Amino acid sequence: MAHSRLKFLGVAGVALMLLAACGSSNNTPAAKVYKIGLVTDIGGLNDKSFNHLADLGLEKAKTDFKIQGDVVESKSGDDYVPNLTNFASKKYDLVIGVGFLMQTAMGTVSGQFPTVNFAIIDGAGTDANFNDLKHPNVQSLYFSEQDAGAMVGALAGLLEKQNKAKKNAGVISAVGGISIPPVNHYIAGYKWAATMVDPGIKVLVGYSNDFTDPAKCKNVAANQISSKADILFQVAGGCGLGVLQAAGQAGVYSVGVDADQKDADPSVIASALKKVDIATYTAIQNVVNGKFAGGALTFNIANDGAGYALDNLTVSADIQAALDDLKAKIKAGTLTPPADIPA
Amino acid sequence: MAAIRRIAGGFAVPLGSVVFAFLVGGLIVAVTGGNPFAAYQGLLCGGLGIACSTTTGENPALQISTTIVFFTPLLMTGVAVALPFRAGLFNIGAEGQLLAGSVACTIIGIKFSSLPAPILLPMVLIGGTLAGAIWAGVPGVLKATIGAHEVVTTIMLNYIAQWLVRFLIVGGPLQAANGFSASTPIGAGARLPLFLPNDPGLVIFGLPAGVYRVHTGLLIGLVALVVFAVVLWRTSLGYEIRAVGQSQRAARYGGINVARTIIITMLIAGAFSGLAGAIQIAGVDHNLTDKYFNDTTGFDAIAVALLGLGSAVGILFASILFGALHAGGSVMQADAGISSSLVQILQALILFSIAANFLRVLRFPTLGLRRPAKAPPRATTP
Amino acid sequence: MNFLSDIGHVLLTADLWRATLEAAALLLLPALGGVISERSGVVNIAMEGMMLTGAFFAVVADLAWHNPWLAALVGIAAGGSMALIHAVVSIRFRADQIVSGIAINIFAAGLTLFLVQRIFGLQDVGHVGQSELLPYINVPVLDQIPFFGRVLFQQNVVVYAAIVLLVVVQLMLFRTRLGLRIRSVGEHPQAADTAGINVYAIRYGAVITSGLLSGLAGAFLAIGISNTFVPNMTDGRGYIALAAVIFGKWTPIGAFVACLIFGFGQAIYDANSVIHVSQYLLSMLPYILTLVVLAGVVGRSIPPAADGVPYAPENE
Repeated sequence: MAHSRLKFLGVAGVALMLLAACGSSNNTPAAKVYKIGLVTDIGGLNDKSFNHLADLGLEKAKTDFKIQGDVVESKSGDDYVPNLTNFASKKYDLVIGVGFLMQTAMGTVSGQFPTVNFAIIDGAGTDANFNDLKHPNVQSLYFSEQDAGAMVGALAGLLEKQNKAKKNAGVISAVGGISIPPVNHYIAGYKWAATMVDPGIKVLVGYSNDFTDPAKCKNVAANQISSKADILFQVAGGCGLGVLQAAGQAGVYSVGVDADQKDADPSVIASALKKVDIATYTAIQNVVNGKFAGGALTFNIANDGAGYALDNLTVSADIQAALDDLKAKIKAGTLTPPADIPA
Repeated sequence: MAAIRRIAGGFAVPLGSVVFAFLVGGLIVAVTGGNPFAAYQGLLCGGLGIACSTTTGENPALQISTTIVFFTPLLMTGVAVALPFRAGLFNIGAEGQLLAGSVACTIIGIKFSSLPAPILLPMVLIGGTLAGAIWAGVPGVLKATIGAHEVVTTIMLNYIAQWLVRFLIVGGPLQAANGFSASTPIGAGARLPLFLPNDPGLVIFGLPAGVYRVHTGLLIGLVALVVFAVVLWRTSLGYEIRAVGQSQRAARYGGINVARTIIITMLIAGAFSGLAGAIQIAGVDHNLTDKYFNDTTGFDAIAVALLGLGSAVGILFASILFGALHAGGSVMQADAGISSSLVQILQALILFSIAANFLRVLRFPTLGLRRPAKAPPRATTP
Repeated sequence: MNFLSDIGHVLLTADLWRATLEAAALLLLPALGGVISERSGVVNIAMEGMMLTGAFFAVVADLAWHNPWLAALVGIAAGGSMALIHAVVSIRFRADQIVSGIAINIFAAGLTLFLVQRIFGLQDVGHVGQSELLPYINVPVLDQIPFFGRVLFQQNVVVYAAIVLLVVVQLMLFRTRLGLRIRSVGEHPQAADTAGINVYAIRYGAVITSGLLSGLAGAFLAIGISNTFVPNMTDGRGYIALAAVIFGKWTPIGAFVACLIFGFGQAIYDANSVIHVSQYLLSMLPYILTLVVLAGVVGRSIPPAADGVPYAPENE
């Protein structure tokens, strides 16, 4: 299993270095093995979205740096505090929490261990009222999901406007998991961009209240399809895979989220990307290079932390040009997708 | 000496079941390429604070504290399932009753947040207890009056409770701030005191005192177990409950009001579960969060009640076991890389071997453990 | 009242009722299994676990062999295997059947998760290709009937199978000798034994059948409705099926009615993008409806007399 192999490699690596150090007469100390702890959210590591991506970032860091990376999956909200505390109490060099839902837990634990470095994806260490406590040992890794949502929203709008979608009734839709900010940011950008590109467009928004059961999302999507939606954006993690499938079966288009989901279904024409793996890797890199600092890092389209990918579709040159133009404008700050879903 | 041997004998079967489960579990781990010793060391260390390795550096006191926090609600929800079993009812609705208690506690804790602790804390706990009682009382009444099967009604109410929680905190009246799927926190007076003060300067066993989250709800849970045992074995109500559980017809001929007994049993069961829910909010979470969308305490309680053979002592040990497995699972994954789903496999194996040994247990005179409760006898003809 | 007209519009769409029937069929399969098992006297609350197991192994098989029919068989067999465990523990070891049922559910949840991590590690579980799923079949000619064509004749092959099974099981239980034997074993096993019926064989058969049906439902969910395995994807449907069994007074037709109510509730809820009322209040609908119908119409549900009692003949 990866971890025992890693530990063996780690020990062997350290042993080799010690040998090398003994062999040579220099006085460089043996390289430190940084201990990184990753606490995932309840979706688990195979959620095909950001828990998985965070783990990928950790794995990449393992190949590039001398780190010991341990992962714990939280099975429920009860596990956030104990899992974070476990790593912190063992004085890990970096404890990463994945997810918006563990903000208060992060606030509590980071306050109890001011000498341990923490990072949290999609949030901050907060108090019970969700006010950012701004602990200096916590680095928030925020994403401007609306940037990614805007790109795919623009694509959807352009396709509808040029009647290049499947039903071309001027209706597109989004299926959200739960109505929380990371989900709503995506949808906000999507709706904003689509409406900007095609003012007459209608954007249906539905929530499945579930991140795990694909059948639920499939039905929500089916309803939207019967209301003539022909480009469906899934923002519902594992459940959202059902959206992609529903689109495929109905012969319309779909858009994936977080990771590139082109293999999930042939109907996927694009994915809104949230590079959680890059963020995780960056946080670890900062610690290894001694550059860790509290505060917030934002990953957006400007620094390539959010973006989009075209899947299973070749777009015409003018659509591509329009997308590139929008991307440049968002990067430059001339256009800013909203964080809240426009009315 | 003989008494000790009998008590030990009473433990032999459940203990043997646990050993059996760990053996089979170890086999599964080994067969799929993992290291069972590392896995079990992780479980033991994380669950009970023993056999912690010095290289990984777990703090035993912290682990024990986490286990206690996990098993505290199981004490009461275990009773909430075990008591109706004695009356021949299957309370699969402990989860919904717990949620009702959590909701009530949160609402009262928020609405009256300015009240001081001596007033507010009893209010939220009593409120949660009453809410849970009502949540179970409805199925009780339906069963007693028209014979509506409690499995159906309690499952329905489980779902209704879950959706109620969602309604309240996702875009609903209790929501903390826009976009957060959690409620505002309850007032400071509604919080159950911790055993250790949350003083940042205080260091115990090498860690700041605040990490030990054991709260006084534990005491309430232990008292609840005693109450359960006393009610069941020392009161006339308890006698009636057990009589109804054995045979409704015989009980009726004996002059017992079966309908009334059923209703009261469910009310009490719901009260225990609602109390557990209130204690979780008041002692641990301090607000209603979306963790309750897929909370499984009420279902674990069924396993705990069955594993504990329906007795107070059994529920205590079964709760500790489940809490320890829960806490141990995370450490096992962090240290040994084994998915904590192994914990569920172990739980299932324990239940299987307990179940398969069941009849043999019934044949031993078990002092120290009372007569184990059987599953609800299905002959519900009046 | 905006939402009333929204609901009205949705109620008139064929898609809503099509979705209702599909969801009902998914619940019906385990419910039929539950009916058979309990009619023979073995309490079976393990439908959830058997479904989940079936779902997992169906996906694994389909990813490996790219054949939905074989994969469905694997799923069915997996469900049956789980049921076999329940049968052995309950019948041979005379264990408490509720404990065994709960244990199966916990075991299935843990085992599938464990295997996902062991087999797929960090990778995605993987998606079954569109052409390798259990197909939706549009019955020619009939599916062109306005409204009803869409509702009844554009369903997945498993839905048709479920309806057929409904009729088969109903007839079998109440009109054949086999059904009579099953029911007598569930009511008076001693008398049945004396009359020469092999109680154990009947019960084993009934429990395993319930596993096969639940496994099929799991396969339907994973490689028919969906195209991958997501941990805990059954999401409590097994328990709903149990409620349907009891609500339906241990008859297939009765259970089906309950499944339709739940299916309807699910379908209405999924239409929340087009109905402007709190989706959470909307989703309580099927459960409240069930309570009302139960209280008002169904009333007392009396299980088979020997349900849940392990058979222990006097002369053993």
